[in-house]
Amino acid sequence: MVHAAVVSGLLASGCEVVDLAVAPTPTLQLAVTWLDADGGISVTAGHNPAPWNALKLVRSDGLYLNEGQAEEVLDIFHQGEYEKATWDRISARVDVRDAIPHHLDTLARAFDTAAIRARRLRVAVDCCNGACALLMPRWLRALGCDLVLINDDPSAPFPHDPEPRLDTAAQTSALLRSTRADIGFVLDADGERVLIVDESGRALSEELTLALATSIRMRRRTGTVVTNVSTTGAIEKIAARYGGTVVRTPVGQAHISEALVEHHAVIGGEGNGAVAVPEVHATHDSAATIGLLLEHLAASGQPISALVGELPKLTMVKQRVAVAPNLIYTALGEFREAVERDAEGEVDSTDGVRVAWPDGWVHVRASNTESVIRIIAEAETDARARALVEWARERLRA
Amino acid sequence: MRAIPTLKISISGVRGVVGDSLTPTLLTRFAQAFGTYVGGGRVVVGRDPRTSGEMVWRAVAAGLLSSGCRIIDLGVCPTPTVQLIVRRTEARGGIAITASHNPPEWNALKFVGADGLFLSADRGHELLDIYHQGDYTKVAGAEMRPIDAMPDALEVHIRAILDALGPLPQTPRRLRVIVDSCNGAGSIVTPRLLETLGAEVIAINVTPDGSFPRPAEPTPANLVALCDAVRQHRADIGFAQDMDADRLALVSGTGVPLSEERTLVLAARAVLAKTPGTVVTNLSTTHTLDQVAAQFGCRVARTKVGEANVTEGMLRERAVIGGEGNGGVIYPRINFARDSLVGMALVLHVLAESGRTLSQLDAELPPIHMVKRQLECPSHQIPAVLKQLRGTYAGSPMDLRDGVKVTLADGWFHVRGSNTEPVLRLVTEAEGAARAEEIADKIAAQIQTWAG
Repeated sequence: MVHAAVVSGLLASGCEVVDLAVAPTPTLQLAVTWLDADGGISVTAGHNPAPWNALKLVRSDGLYLNEGQAEEVLDIFHQGEYEKATWDRISARVDVRDAIPHHLDTLARAFDTAAIRARRLRVAVDCCNGACALLMPRWLRALGCDLVLINDDPSAPFPHDPEPRLDTAAQTSALLRSTRADIGFVLDADGERVLIVDESGRALSEELTLALATSIRMRRRTGTVVTNVSTTGAIEKIAARYGGTVVRTPVGQAHISEALVEHHAVIGGEGNGAVAVPEVHATHDSAATIGLLLEHLAASGQPISALVGELPKLTMVKQRVAVAPNLIYTALGEFREAVERDAEGEVDSTDGVRVAWPDGWVHVRASNTESVIRIIAEAETDARARALVEWARERLRA
Repeated sequence: MRAIPTLKISISGVRGVVGDSLTPTLLTRFAQAFGTYVGGGRVVVGRDPRTSGEMVWRAVAAGLLSSGCRIIDLGVCPTPTVQLIVRRTEARGGIAITASHNPPEWNALKFVGADGLFLSADRGHELLDIYHQGDYTKVAGAEMRPIDAMPDALEVHIRAILDALGPLPQTPRRLRVIVDSCNGAGSIVTPRLLETLGAEVIAINVTPDGSFPRPAEPTPANLVALCDAVRQHRADIGFAQDMDADRLALVSGTGVPLSEERTLVLAARAVLAKTPGTVVTNLSTTHTLDQVAAQFGCRVARTKVGEANVTEGMLRERAVIGGEGNGGVIYPRINFARDSLVGMALVLHVLAESGRTLSQLDAELPPIHMVKRQLECPSHQIPAVLKQLRGTYAGSPMDLRDGVKVTLADGWFHVRGSNTEPVLRLVTEAEGAARAEEIADKIAAQIQTWAG
């Protein structure tokens, strides 16, 4: 339904439409530059539950529209006067293309596939019946992996909430233990996020995906890491180990991608399990993330748990507070005032309100996609992190 | 506020100009209204090959899916195929995306009910009420189903004709037919049908790419290429269709286009010879049809102009054949719709069974002397002009169901306002061409004075 409406609108406004049918969002983003397109639209609600759908707008370089550009689109939308193609200009056909082979080729060029193939890794993957089911099995087979696939039918309903979190990883954890796989991956529906399960079946918080990717990348080549203000402080500690630097942006892929390009970063991503590997593309791409991890497993000969053991020990606690959409910014404003009144910690307003102490931090912000306020706290102990969330909750209620 | 002259929303559907009034938003809303009206379920969609067809189809699909319909997509196909498939699949309704004989910048939605007929005036009003009210049925994503294609729809249509009429009987020489589909929706199916019937087919203008090789209306002036081809190939007959293949015009073996009124008369004679019964047509169609029907002891009932009115009348009268003088033949035994494919099969059977040429058959029928004119008249003046006509011809038999139709001692005239343009349509008929012109000149002059 959404697809038909989008195609009609694009044709009516004079666009030539290339239809990639069902494809992961990063596949579409790569195809925009590959096909020299002027832009792209991904019909996906990412990690939102099944009743949702959405349009993600991509510009001609394959990156998401930034805030300024998105506002321009909104201005045009609100103004309501659109381009209209006359009968002799309107595109009478929709070109249907398969962009997945191009994505696979791009991935294969970015990693040492021969070394990965030689290891014959056994990999368990939960595709969440999303568009990834069309890409990931082919990519992993190209890497010579022995595959244990679940939820790989994109026409079937979501088997669980499509957000990769500890509580959606139970199926894959069980699978790891029964199949003795080397590593497991829990994917979101549209190909951006990935959560890692180690060889013992232990699911690793989605925050650790970027931490592990950063650690792998930095030991090969140090440089700048780009991440958002809500992501684990472990990133700074890892970067410091290898003499790298960290750039923090507001939350959202558009910010990460632009900063990645601007700072010539060696890796970027967010604490939700989304990682961008610039050799592939400056966009979040779970297939690229998996390529990086498998390349490391092949090169090091070590299990993934060994690398996890080297990560700084920090605990993160996340909470969602449902707030009516018209009250979110009022609540956030009152929270900011309360925090400033107390004058505790160091306040950063890049995106929402982030308060940092020497032994931890808490970040309170409005979700971009749902009517909730997210509270994220991190500290060296679980108790301290929970205390920070409570600290924020008290001020948010006020 | 300006009135948009390129948009017509009426009980017969929504019609507009692409790149101007016919926007995806409007189309999606109309499709939502229709999906709400039919209450979800199966809906058949087909379109003619206009360049805007892809855009319109996608907007319609979005609207139907969001209101809970399951779509059967026929792709590019004749409008009568949509109507036939609605009944065959027991669908809740259908949408034909076509502006029929209108120029290429136009497109339109035509709505078909579960009975395969275009929505009648009453039902068209109900749909419009839902459209204006704006509160459409919305289903959740989980209830939406993928669009079903029906790749054999054209075969089903061909088979329906063959099953009813059979292949052509053996003739000393296979009938040679030239068909001109105007690059329209008939381009693919028509040559296939004619070959299946057993004719030798030479097809021109059968590239359905949205280009218009000639004006789409199959009137004599637009059929020069077809007439040339008939002569060049020494064909027995030439067939011309409009963009959505509902109307049919005939060209004789000598390369002469027949009056488009002739198509229905020939088809009616063929049907009445085997199955006598009532004929239904509109008020503007030739009265030679009544003479032909009388030869078989049959009568003609007349309705307002428009396919929906004629089919409604046919149902009421249990007609065996019906149609309109513009080349629209409706043979309910096969399809309750104006169907050029059915018309061709009927006419070819007459040629093969009688062993006569089309010119001979034409000469055996009473000659048609009609004049059709469009008279410019501001829309707000139309009622006053019609009132003047009623007063002036108060002594003559008059039919006021659709404008004014007056029967004179030696002919008749019919004047009605257009639904779509600021014009009056004038049709006259008499026993001689000169007299038909004379009546037309007189009425036109009178109207010009009144509309002044």
